[in-house]
Amino acid sequence: MTKSRSAILMIALVAVGLAIAAAEGLVVKVQTTQLRRTPQFFGPTLAALKVGDRLEKVSEANGWIQVKTAAGAVGWIHSSAVMQSTVALTSTNQNLKTQATASEVALAGKGFNKQVEDSYKSKHAEVSFVWVDRMIQIRTSLAQIQDFLAKGRLAGLAGGGK
Amino acid sequence: MSASKSVRLSAVALVLTLLAASCAVLDKGTEVMNKANKVADDVKTVKTAADKLRSSFADITEEEEYYIGRSVAALVLSRYPVYQNDALTQYINTVGNAVALYSDRPEIFAGYHFLVLDTEDVNALAAPGGLIFVTKGLLRRCKDEETLGLILAHEVGHVTAKHGLQAIKKSRLTDAFMFLGTQAVQRFGPQEVAQLTAMFEGVLSDIVEQLVVRGYDRASEYDADGLAVKFGARTGYEPGSILRFLKTMVGDKSTASGKGWFKTHPSPEDRIAGATKAIAGLGGAPKIDAARTQRFAQSIAAMK
Repeated sequence: MTKSRSAILMIALVAVGLAIAAAEGLVVKVQTTQLRRTPQFFGPTLAALKVGDRLEKVSEANGWIQVKTAAGAVGWIHSSAVMQSTVALTSTNQNLKTQATASEVALAGKGFNKQVEDSYKSKHAEVSFVWVDRMIQIRTSLAQIQDFLAKGRLAGLAGGGK
Repeated sequence: MSASKSVRLSAVALVLTLLAASCAVLDKGTEVMNKANKVADDVKTVKTAADKLRSSFADITEEEEYYIGRSVAALVLSRYPVYQNDALTQYINTVGNAVALYSDRPEIFAGYHFLVLDTEDVNALAAPGGLIFVTKGLLRRCKDEETLGLILAHEVGHVTAKHGLQAIKKSRLTDAFMFLGTQAVQRFGPQEVAQLTAMFEGVLSDIVEQLVVRGYDRASEYDADGLAVKFGARTGYEPGSILRFLKTMVGDKSTASGKGWFKTHPSPEDRIAGATKAIAGLGGAPKIDAARTQRFAQSIAAMK
């Protein structure tokens, strides 16, 4: 291989590396979840995560992603709890855009949100949210589900998710 | 063979070997380059996917879906009263969350939640964001936990596949995305909130119309049946229970069924054919278990 060819190859690999680094940022998209020690729901947890938390992807296996938190903890999260983000909110060209990406809207906390719901409620006093709020408060813990599966001789005690 | 001939042959062999080796290096180099290009293309695709401007229901954020779902649920609850029985509610939530955990979308913005509606209409409804309703009338039709598990898995399927969000008219979504895009990093003033609320009302009416009045299209129902079989079997429920349930609905012309299920679902005969195919595709399925049937009977016994 010639010197120039290996130089091109090196540049290409570095470029790819940089692109991967930029693309592998993840953001938690669910209100709350856990960083888990193993790629399964029923197992020890390492840290609590919340919507908007930034994570770095380490590896991936069967619908689970191994990630590193900003604090440096490494563990697993289910792929349905995160979205990809390459967005830097400080980017100067934000104002030039006429539309936004989903991750921008999610990170900015805009879109159809509590502010819009409150406005809808004030216009529609006839629509009650009392039972919606009660419904959201119904908690079913993973321990309850695990116990329920065991007593019902249901499958996948070691698994969870996919 | 003379000595000189032998030397010549060795030299040719050496040249050929070196040539082959250099080709291998070159091939290796080309392979690496190709791989690098492939990765670059993949990264480009990923980046495009991550960065692309919002254009379809799939670009609705998790939080937006939750807020849309809350209001859809409120509108469902303005039509039906809630059946208040804490033990039954907890049981339904445990079965529902078990199948959701084995779905393709176990994590959702604010979790999956289930309520029983106090009506003899036979129906089940799923609002976006994982807020799911099942009627007393439908529970009475369930013979065991397997059937309940499969029905709740069907509703979870509507949520994981975002069928509710697909009901939103495309033009309405495009307008909302355009508006939200320009406003995304600014604080909403009263005028913007009013505009956004009007769009939100439109979104709700599209979904409620489909959920309660017209029903999902046939393709979405068959899709949800297939997902019910998949998620139900993964959890450990006997998937054939969905067939037994659908068979009880064949030829049922009762008012209770007519008000909900038949108005919003394709014919049970057609669904049986689709679900049978999905079960055949599993290649082995869990069996029914008496322990589950017993706890199901205990849980719904108190239902008046």
